[in-house]
Amino acid sequence: MKRVGFTTTIPIEIIVAAGKLPVDLNNLFITGGRGGQLIEMAELEGFPRNICGWIKGIYAAALESGIKEIVAVTEGDCSNTRALMEVLSLRGITAIPFAFPGDRSPESLRLEIEKLMEHFGVGWEAVNRSRQRLERIRLKVREIDRLTWQENLVTGEENHYYQVATSDMNGNIDGFEAELDEFLDKIRIRKPLRDRLRLAYIGVPPIIEGLYPFLESKGARVVFNETQRQFSMPYGISDLVEQYRSYTYPYDIFTRLADIAIELEKRRVDAVVHYVQSFCFRQIEDMVIRQTLRLPVLTLEGDKPASVDARTGIRIESFLEMVEENS
Amino acid sequence: MKIGIDLGSRKVKFAVVENGSLIRLEACDTLGFYKQFGRLVDEELTFDLAATGMFAESELADPSIVVTGYGRNTLNYKGARVISEIRAHVAGAKFQTGLKDFTLLDLGGQDTKVAMVSNGRLADFMMNDKCAASSGRYLETMATILEVTLDELSSHWEDPVPLDSTCGIFGESELIGQILRGYPIGRLCAGVNQTLVKRVLPMLKRFPSPNLVLTGGVALDKALVKLLELGSCQPVIVPEQPQHNGAIGCAVIEFIRD
Repeated sequence: MKRVGFTTTIPIEIIVAAGKLPVDLNNLFITGGRGGQLIEMAELEGFPRNICGWIKGIYAAALESGIKEIVAVTEGDCSNTRALMEVLSLRGITAIPFAFPGDRSPESLRLEIEKLMEHFGVGWEAVNRSRQRLERIRLKVREIDRLTWQENLVTGEENHYYQVATSDMNGNIDGFEAELDEFLDKIRIRKPLRDRLRLAYIGVPPIIEGLYPFLESKGARVVFNETQRQFSMPYGISDLVEQYRSYTYPYDIFTRLADIAIELEKRRVDAVVHYVQSFCFRQIEDMVIRQTLRLPVLTLEGDKPASVDARTGIRIESFLEMVEENS
Repeated sequence: MKIGIDLGSRKVKFAVVENGSLIRLEACDTLGFYKQFGRLVDEELTFDLAATGMFAESELADPSIVVTGYGRNTLNYKGARVISEIRAHVAGAKFQTGLKDFTLLDLGGQDTKVAMVSNGRLADFMMNDKCAASSGRYLETMATILEVTLDELSSHWEDPVPLDSTCGIFGESELIGQILRGYPIGRLCAGVNQTLVKRVLPMLKRFPSPNLVLTGGVALDKALVKLLELGSCQPVIVPEQPQHNGAIGCAVIEFIRD
């Protein structure tokens, strides 16, 4: 089956309807176990050191994978993606632009979705069929999320993994569904986890490895993974345009914050970890987040794939200690 | 007897406290201390404090040791209680100043910490993360290039020469360029102090408080204190023992109440 890569979440229902396999290049980069090497490859080719690690990782992962066609999100994610598209096209990869309209207008989003459908030669009937197929999987992931915060049966990392994997259904739709079924069977017989603190993780998924187990070793479990949950599209909406309008990640920070506020309350969160990627525009949004949220916020910054370094460890421990003392 | 130990990046600091009163302070270079007196026993860090010659036999008879510092989350310290640096420094500042509401700025060898304390409790804090250009090591490096002592560096605050490099290492070549332009050493020293102040002001702005307490070795730089007062538009309170603040905090942690 022909693979189609993408730079951040796009309506994969279209790619599935076209009989192709969606591949989230971020997942390809970070799960291969060679993240550091891929970034070095991109830097040797000329990518500046002070550019986001994800962009460099995606570049090298796309080239290494042999994928010939990618969908690049040129609006709703960072502007580095435009330049990434350009350099990838020099290396013989076809890049199809996709834009999440800044104003979230349904008309503009419908137009973008239909442009993508036209490119892949599929109509609404086929797309809606694949939407229904994927919705079945999304429901199962939603259940894993519920079991995380409501029944305390799932760790922060498991919650992260299953939700983040929905961006491309792990590149294997049936296989992913089987994996979910197996996991759901397994966790229902677990004893509830007992944590001293309940955390929210907001921002892009971490490039740092081992963050969730580190937090849990300090008695704090993530019960809300903001962006990862958005990837799983837990809205139960039967209209594809509305589904991708409800998806908060590509839109403004206030749209994201409205969703975050509801979940923090519902999930009885004690404190927030805001992860930012070095050199990312979202570091600026940290100011808005800190001014808006009422809970204590720890901002963590990551650059390249590596385990939790001593300094980050010290900051996390001090933060958790402070939250615990003040609660 | 309570012994507080702050394992800093440049110096190891000790504070000895008895019945809530500070008895005395000690310090030595970090590297030498680790090399001579430290070893790992069953993955736990131990120090042969008796061999340092800094402590009387009676002080080490049944000591209650509390440790903080950079290595705290990678190593356990045998027979000691380990606390976070933020907690140690806040406790030290509360003990030394008697204040309950203040913003603490701790400028150490590699670390910059800003903590907001409200009603005796730590309300929020920040630490430098990816870069140590706003720490004491920057001052040391620049003093070496200027061929002045730290005492000399810390006596100049007037008419600072602007130094704008974000990176402390690039700052070296920038400083050399300014030396070539013929600026007097005093103005260059002031420029170095001012650069550090400019780097920490945005962090301070996050936690406004009527009391600004400065600790860490950098607090001994009087010119920097003056420039910090000018930059923050408020008096800067430097406790009597700024460099030992963390060690004192460790030694008094049990006595300090909110």
